[in-house]
Amino acid sequence: MKVLELKKVNKIYDGSEVPVHAVNDVSLDFDEAEFVAIVGPSGSGKTTLLNLIGGLDMPSSGEIIIDGTNLSKLKSSQLIDFRMRNIGFVFQAYNLIPVLTAKENVEFIMSLQKWPRKERDERTLELLNAVGLGDRINSRPSKLSGGQQQRVAVARALASRPKFVLADEPTANLDSKSATTLLGIMETLNHGEKITFIFSTHDPRVVKMAHRVITLEDGRVISDDVRE
Amino acid sequence: MILSISWKNIWRNKVRSLVVIVASTLGIISGVMVVGIMEGWVEQRLHDAIYNEVSHIQIHNSDYLKNEEINLTVQDTALVAEAVKQLPGLKGWVARTKMVVMANTPWANTGIFIYGIDPEREKQVSEIYKKIIPGAGNYLDKDKPGTILISDKTAEILKLKQYCLTDTVIGKLERGEFPKSVLSKLAGIKDERFRSPKDFRAILKSLLTGKELDNYGRQLMDSSLEYKIRNKIQITLSDEQGTPVQGTFRVCGIYRTTNTGFDQVTAFVNAGELAALYDGKSILIHEIAIMIEDIENAGSAKEKLSGISRHNTVSTWKELAPDAAMMNDFMIIYYFIFIGIVMFALAFGIINTMMMTILERTRELGMLMAIGMNRRRIFSMIMLETIFLTVVGAAAGMVGGWVIVMSLGKTGIHFLSWGEGFEAIGFAATVYPVITPFFFIIITIMVISTAIISSVWPARKALKLDPAEAIRTE
Ligand SMILES: Nc1ncnc2c1ncn2[C@@H]1O[C@H](COP(=O)(O)OP(=O)(O)OP(=O)(O)O)[C@@H](O)[C@H]1O
Ligand SMILES: [Mg+2]
Repeated sequence: MKVLELKKVNKIYDGSEVPVHAVNDVSLDFDEAEFVAIVGPSGSGKTTLLNLIGGLDMPSSGEIIIDGTNLSKLKSSQLIDFRMRNIGFVFQAYNLIPVLTAKENVEFIMSLQKWPRKERDERTLELLNAVGLGDRINSRPSKLSGGQQQRVAVARALASRPKFVLADEPTANLDSKSATTLLGIMETLNHGEKITFIFSTHDPRVVKMAHRVITLEDGRVISDDVRE
Repeated sequence: MILSISWKNIWRNKVRSLVVIVASTLGIISGVMVVGIMEGWVEQRLHDAIYNEVSHIQIHNSDYLKNEEINLTVQDTALVAEAVKQLPGLKGWVARTKMVVMANTPWANTGIFIYGIDPEREKQVSEIYKKIIPGAGNYLDKDKPGTILISDKTAEILKLKQYCLTDTVIGKLERGEFPKSVLSKLAGIKDERFRSPKDFRAILKSLLTGKELDNYGRQLMDSSLEYKIRNKIQITLSDEQGTPVQGTFRVCGIYRTTNTGFDQVTAFVNAGELAALYDGKSILIHEIAIMIEDIENAGSAKEKLSGISRHNTVSTWKELAPDAAMMNDFMIIYYFIFIGIVMFALAFGIINTMMMTILERTRELGMLMAIGMNRRRIFSMIMLETIFLTVVGAAAGMVGGWVIVMSLGKTGIHFLSWGEGFEAIGFAATVYPVITPFFFIIITIMVISTAIISSVWPARKALKLDPAEAIRTE
């Protein structure tokens, strides 16, 4: 089943003297439960593409359709709500609310969505156990390592069962062991929860773990390989 | 959820939050203090003006108000008296003789108003009888003829006041554990007489250090002071034909109110004795003073009394003591201006702090917006943070201010060095700060509105963040 479709998406930044064609005529389809890496040299448009998919930025032209909804048809207030319901985010850093514990961070979106307390608690514990932090549920982010913080962020992104999770360089600030652990956890959850993951990365070891690798250069897709 | 995040957020940068809290605490304490002091002064001035000087209502011959001549008496006194007795809520009333006279002693003379009164009845409308300086004689007594009650200021002008460090005074000070070192410095002026407080203070200043003067100056002045009670004062006035007549009165006592200006020109004698000087037949009535239960009814009482004779003028306390009335009416405006300034400073500090906070948390706010905090939630989070911060500071400030004002309200604040200047214009040198519940409510409302108003700006700033940009920020 198709969860996400990009049709001839372009993004041109014309703020500076020379307009930058950051995403150039990109058309892509993503199915349920895919595990996709987006790679490419620095400045190739990975972040821009992920921001467009995530509705944080609007394409200059083309369409982004998530589960049948065209993003550019949404008003900005609807868009925020749509994002909250359908897309999970993991950023490179500053993912968590520093004043909340791991458990509260994971619960956050569920409580914005007014999940009943019992379901919320069950889901939170399930996910924190899945990311291997069942014993740290009451720790604040500052008491967790970078890798642990990113695992909490992954749990948070999955908590309210979005259509897919976007992760822009989730391992960029991690040592290679933590990076591999994180990817392992992401893969397991991708498998178990049947939720699509789309992540960008520079790290070849991370790329190796992806099931599909999309390569960008100068804003264009130059290859799209599915592996077994 | 948002509520608890906001609350926790203000404690993230503890130092900064504490600075804001301490600043608003100090701001509000000083606001409450200043207002408390002003309010204390206004109340005291109002009370003293009414109870020592002008009562609630006075009636005069209209012409007497322009020119205080002996024959310009209140007209139709019988009718007026009848109407006064009918006033609802009447507390008391008196009829007085009031004349401009010259008073002399062998050493000095001065022009004063002399009031011919019935000393006992006078207590219904005036608290002068409570203002006799301890140890300086007594209030007027009908049964002790030929006496006059003068003020401390008049005594000073007429040189009936002297400062002298006698053996008795020194002995008393020593028993009161007064430091011997200070006394020994003063040995040179023992038994020397000083006729004015200025001279005495000057000599003390030359003999003592500043610190000793601060600590013991007042006590020395007070204990060395003696009044020449029982001294004679000669009074000269014009009778109804304009012929000057003279009489001699013995000082029975010295009073002092908080208003030196009033004291300086006001002395009291028995009305009958004054009458004996100018004609001996009847007591002339130049002034009727009335006290009622409720000050708010002064206006309506004035209306009731005004129609009786067109030759008379009825005045309320507001007209008689316009300074006190004006203060009473306008003080509230000053309070608001003052509190407004404090609030402005508070708002400025808070907005500044919150702007800094938002700048520091750009990425976090961007993340929150990306994952689904909508504008309303971001806005309320920042607003709540701002309000919490203000309210914590303000609550501390108000409790602090209230405690200080309450305790000072009992002990009073003494303005030693400025005291005389204040008393010259009718303010007590010791003020007892007052905070009315009404005022407390006003401050609370103002603080909360300040908090809300100053929270809008930072909250709007947060809304303007673009999540994609914010996350990219390095
Ligand atoms: N807000 C912006 N305004 C103007 N140009 C931008 C903006 N954001 C990105 N760009 C440009 O768009 C191009 C793509 O940037 P993008 O950040 O998407 O690359 P990236 O693949 O994520 O790079 P990196 O691997 O370094 O993160 C770059 O040339 C960049 O300079
Ligand atoms: Mg990037």
